[in-house]
Amino acid sequence: MKAFRALTLNRVRASVRDRTALIFTLGLAVLFMVIFGLLFGGNGLSVSLDAVNNDNTAVSASYLKALGGVNGVTVHSTSHSTAFADLKDDSVAAVLVIPKGFGSAVLGQGPPQQVAIYQAAGGSSSSAIADAVVANVTARTAGLGHLNVTLGTPQSADVNQVTEMDYMLPSMIAYIILFSGVNYVAIGLVEMRVKQILRRFRATPVRSGTILSAQVVGGGLTVLLQIVVLVALGIWVFGAKNYGSWLLLIPPIVLGTAAFVGIGFLITSISRTSESARALAAMVTFPLMFLSGLFFPMSSLPAVVQTIARILPLAWASDALHQVMNDAAGFSAITTDCLVMLAWAVVTISIATWRFRWD
Amino acid sequence: MAALASAGRPSSGPPPMLAPSRCRPDGGLRGEMADIDVEGLVKRYGAVVAVDGLTFAVEKGEVFGMLGPNGAGKTTTLEIIEGLRTPDAGSVHVLGTDVLAHPSTVKERIGVQLQATALPEFTRVREAVELFGALYRRSRPTAEVMEEFNLEEKAEAYTTDLSGGQMQRLSIALALINDPDLVFLDEPTTGLDPQARLNIWTVIEGIRKRGKTVVLTTHYMEEAERLCDRVAVIDRGRIVALDTPPHLIAQHAVGTTIEFEPVLGLDPQSLRSVLGVERVVADGRVSITTRNPEALLHALLDPTAPWASTGDAADGEREGAIRDLMVRHGTLEDVFLSLTGRSLRE
Repeated sequence: MKAFRALTLNRVRASVRDRTALIFTLGLAVLFMVIFGLLFGGNGLSVSLDAVNNDNTAVSASYLKALGGVNGVTVHSTSHSTAFADLKDDSVAAVLVIPKGFGSAVLGQGPPQQVAIYQAAGGSSSSAIADAVVANVTARTAGLGHLNVTLGTPQSADVNQVTEMDYMLPSMIAYIILFSGVNYVAIGLVEMRVKQILRRFRATPVRSGTILSAQVVGGGLTVLLQIVVLVALGIWVFGAKNYGSWLLLIPPIVLGTAAFVGIGFLITSISRTSESARALAAMVTFPLMFLSGLFFPMSSLPAVVQTIARILPLAWASDALHQVMNDAAGFSAITTDCLVMLAWAVVTISIATWRFRWD
Repeated sequence: MAALASAGRPSSGPPPMLAPSRCRPDGGLRGEMADIDVEGLVKRYGAVVAVDGLTFAVEKGEVFGMLGPNGAGKTTTLEIIEGLRTPDAGSVHVLGTDVLAHPSTVKERIGVQLQATALPEFTRVREAVELFGALYRRSRPTAEVMEEFNLEEKAEAYTTDLSGGQMQRLSIALALINDPDLVFLDEPTTGLDPQARLNIWTVIEGIRKRGKTVVLTTHYMEEAERLCDRVAVIDRGRIVALDTPPHLIAQHAVGTTIEFEPVLGLDPQSLRSVLGVERVVADGRVSITTRNPEALLHALLDPTAPWASTGDAADGEREGAIRDLMVRHGTLEDVFLSLTGRSLRE
């Protein structure tokens, strides 16, 4: 036990002191939160619109002024071609085209007109917001006159209470689980083997199982430590909220870590050099990162890709963490997630132990 | 090939007769068990036979050297004795215990320095000593070991920032952390500068003074000559000779080598008949190995010889057979050359 404690402590201490590895795990996770914080955080939202004013009356001018007066909305009057170029390069959320005769229509002096609103194909959350704002202002403008003006096919704005930061925090927990497992266990263990450090430990009376489990447990503890730091930063610095139970976060975090530590351990068993371990680790981690709902919900992926991602454990870890933190789910909602991760942990660690090479 | 083993305790006296037959390791000690008793050790890697039937014993309190070029099988042999590898055949007893059956019992009582061992990254010197201390049931106090090996100054440095010599001192300190009876040092001075090498030699002599048995491998013959009570010369997985360095030199290095630039009229091969001459190598420079250097010099300087000087003695210059003469005494390097026909270092 004395030996296990000393070896584990050494592993954790060395991992925490390894700045380069820290940058790729905790460092990048925090950086992602900063980037998303800058993109979506700050003083509410801001939406830019381009307006092509074919009417040029006092009425259309005050209509645009009313739009621009909404907090966070900026409107530029410009030519047709410039407006659509702006839409194409994503510098505006939508383009409004005010038809000739708009002023007369509002004043009840001409035939009804429709304001056209254009958005990039697919639409985004900011274009949905633009829709809502424009619809509101248009309705009020129309209300001034003879209800002759309507807004064409408004998009439904999907309003979610969960902020980007609330979504990012569980994602970044999953990110750390993913990268630390392979970084601290796979590459760490292979290097210890290549540099004969494992051999040196084996020259002492300590049992082989103790040496290996200390490395694996030490790697796992390093991951948990980083998650504690990340959650603290997420809550107190980035203002993310956990809508669910803190206690319920423990099973997915521990089991997710175990599954990825197991995958890392498995990579150790099949790679000869630290270069091949690095390559294998990258092959596992990068696709998983994008396929498992870390940066956008998995429902936005094609069905085939979703099916593939569903086999791998990160999707389950990510799902469980989002369910608990964002949707305040109970344990029954994450039971399957936890069982899948447990299965991954048991299978990978068993195979890795069985196939492990000491040199 | 059956290995040669010295029957007696190590001695540095004048070379007595060798006992060429293999002796039981306890032969010289009358019943006391040898610290290491290796019999018929074989280790193969595929078609390559790394260790080819080694048999030898290491007595309590001696410094036992294994000398041979890279790839001779020294490290493999050592690692089998340390319980790190399993042999294909043969038996190994260390401190009276069968290593193959009870490796951890043996590991508790031995100290090991591996060839070019790295230590875990981001670990300070003091932490490394504490860590290794925790791996044994009983270990010496960290502070005491740090002081003995002069490591206090570097206590808070990362082990990766140590110089080669400091790293070797730490590595040897870690091998002694459990106060072992028997210490294995695998090439303790390879890659060190001369100053650091001398320092490590002093450290090893200190270990020996404390009554510990030391087994070390090296490919530096001056190291083996200075430190070892007995040396096993190993080549291609076999022991080709095993004795004290003076015995080995007397037996195989055949005394003295005389080298010189040949002159006209001298046929070096004709000197083979001179009393005591063992070997004549004429490769540009002539190198003659002899047990009787006086007789050889006498023959070379013989004024009636065909190659004797014909120059004018009055001008004080003498043209003779022994221009640019050099006399060398035998070393373990010569032992190795004579036993294997190859040089120790490549």
